[in-house]
Amino acid sequence: MSRSVAIIGTGPAGCYLAQALLKAEPELAVDLIDRLPVPYGLVRYGVAPDHQGTKAVTRQFERLFERQGARFFGNVTVDAPLLAVLREAYDAVVLAAGLSSDRRLGIPGEDLDGVIRAGELTRALYDHPDAARLPKLGRRVVLMGNGNVAIDLLRLLAKTPEELAGSDLGPEASEWLARSPVEEITIVGRSPAAAARFDAVMVKELAKLSGVTVNVVDPGTSDEPEGMKKIDALASLAATQGGPKRIAFRFSLTPVAVEGERGHVAAVRFRDGAGAERIVPCDTFLTAIGFEAGADALRRDRLLGEAFDPEAGILAQGLYAAGWFRRGPRGTIPENRTDAQGLAARILADFGNMPQAGSKAGRAVFAGRPAIVTYAGWQCIDAAECAAAQPNRCRRKIASRAEMLQLAVRIEEPQA
Amino acid sequence: MNITILYGTETGNAEMLAEDIAGELEAEHEVSVANLSDFDPAGFDQGRFYLMVCSTYGDGELPGSAQPFAKAMEASDAKLAGVHFAVFGLGDSEYDETFNGGSKRLAELMLTHGAVQIGERVIHDASGSDLAEDLAFPWASEMVSLASERLEEAV
Repeated sequence: MSRSVAIIGTGPAGCYLAQALLKAEPELAVDLIDRLPVPYGLVRYGVAPDHQGTKAVTRQFERLFERQGARFFGNVTVDAPLLAVLREAYDAVVLAAGLSSDRRLGIPGEDLDGVIRAGELTRALYDHPDAARLPKLGRRVVLMGNGNVAIDLLRLLAKTPEELAGSDLGPEASEWLARSPVEEITIVGRSPAAAARFDAVMVKELAKLSGVTVNVVDPGTSDEPEGMKKIDALASLAATQGGPKRIAFRFSLTPVAVEGERGHVAAVRFRDGAGAERIVPCDTFLTAIGFEAGADALRRDRLLGEAFDPEAGILAQGLYAAGWFRRGPRGTIPENRTDAQGLAARILADFGNMPQAGSKAGRAVFAGRPAIVTYAGWQCIDAAECAAAQPNRCRRKIASRAEMLQLAVRIEEPQA
Repeated sequence: MNITILYGTETGNAEMLAEDIAGELEAEHEVSVANLSDFDPAGFDQGRFYLMVCSTYGDGELPGSAQPFAKAMEASDAKLAGVHFAVFGLGDSEYDETFNGGSKRLAELMLTHGAVQIGERVIHDASGSDLAEDLAFPWASEMVSLASERLEEAV
C-alpha cells in the first residue's frame, strides 16, 4: 500500500512539490487540491498575460496529471475542519495555498477613493473568478513598490494595444487599458535602486516600449555587483524616449500619508533619505508592496507560530508548508522548485522513519462531495478557453466560476 | 552510439526536454541523462556524444544548475580535444537583449577547452509558437547522424 500526500494549492509551489515527490517515488498517491475550479495558481493569475513564455512551466505540471498519476480536486476550499479530515485521511498534508491578500501600507489615507491595491487590480485584469470590477484610473498614477508585480503593472499600463498581441489579456481588460486616461506614472521604491526587489531583466524589458518617455531620478551607485545590475538596467532605459506616457522612477522614498480631497486621493506624502518631506500629486495611488494571508481560513499565523521547524516547512506530524505560504511573498517560480525538492526529500525521509499506520482513506474522503472539478474537467475549460481566443490573443479566460463549473463538473474521471 | 544528454535548468523545462529527447533516441542508442550540476568536467569521454540542452536565466546568464559546471570549467585546464558536443538552447524573446545567453555561454565554455561542436546551436523561443520538442527532436536526430560520421572517422 503506497503512501498518500494531499497538497493544498496548485500553484508552482504545490505542483513542483508533486513533481519532486513523484520523481523520487512514482508509486505515491499525490492529490492536488485547489479552491478554484482551475489549476496552476499564480502561473495563471499572477504571471502577467504578456509573459506567456513564463507560463510554459504548466507543460511540466500537465504531466503530473497526464502521465504521473497525480489527481486534481478543484473547487474545494480547505478550511480548518476539512484540514483536520485530510490529516486523518492522508499520510502527509502540505499547505501550498499561497498568500492572496494585499499587504497594506499602514499609513493615514490609504482607504481613500483612488487607492488601488495590486492584488485586487491583477485579479480583475487577469480574469480571476473572485475579482472585483476594474477600477477607475486617473491621469497621474503613483505606483508604490519595486517588486516584479509593480513592474508588471507599470508595463501593462504603459503598453500600446499592439504591444499586447499574443497575450491572454481578456477583452474587458484590453478595452480598459486601451481607454485608460493615464498620462504619467511615478514608480516609487522605499529602497535605493541598488536594493530594489525587481529582476534587472524585467526593467530592461521596458526599453522595448514604444509609447513612453522614461526618466530615472537619482538611481545612485553600488559597490555590489547585484546592485549595479539593477542600476545598469535602469540606465538602459535612458534611450526610451519620445512616447506620450511619462514614466518616472524614484527611489529611497518612504510613504508617510495619502492626502485626500473630498474623499479622493490627491497626493502622496513621502519622506526622503535625508528626512525631508516630498509630496507627489496624483489622482490614483497604486500599491504593489507584497501579499499576506488575509482572511486565513487555514490559520496560517498559528500554524507557523507552533511549527516544529518553520524553516524546513514542518508544521506538525504529517503537516507541512511550502512556497509563499511557508516563506512569505518572496521568490519567483524557480525558487519554488528548489524549495520543493528540499521539502519532498524531507517528507520522504519522514515516511521512511514512520511505521505505516494501517490503510488511510486518502482520496475516498472526496467521494460524494458536490461540484468537484477533476483534471478532465479542467481540460474541458482549457479547451473552451483556447477555442474562444480572439484575434491577437492566445486564450480567452473564463472568469465566471459558474461558467467554469458548467463546463467541468459533468466530466467524471474513470476510477483507477 | 553512446550518447549523454546534459541539461542546465532553472525551472525544469530544460530537464523535461532532455528526458523527452532521451525517450526519442533510446530505441536506437545507449542514452544517459544528467543534470550539469551533477556532472564533473573531468568525466567527458571521447567515445560518447554529448547533447547539451540549456536554458537562460536572469540577465542572459546560465541557469542555476549549469553554474557549478561553468565554475569548474573555468577553473580547469582540461583538454577536451576529441570530445564532440551539440547545443540546444531554450530562451524567451520577451527578453530580447539576453535571448539565449545561457546556451551561448555553455557552447563557448566547451569550445574554449578544445571540444568539437557539431552543427549549429539551435534555439527555442518560449514566446514563439513552436513547441520545444518540435524543434529539438529533429535537431537531436540530425546531430546524432552528423556525430556518428565524425566519431567513426575518429576511431
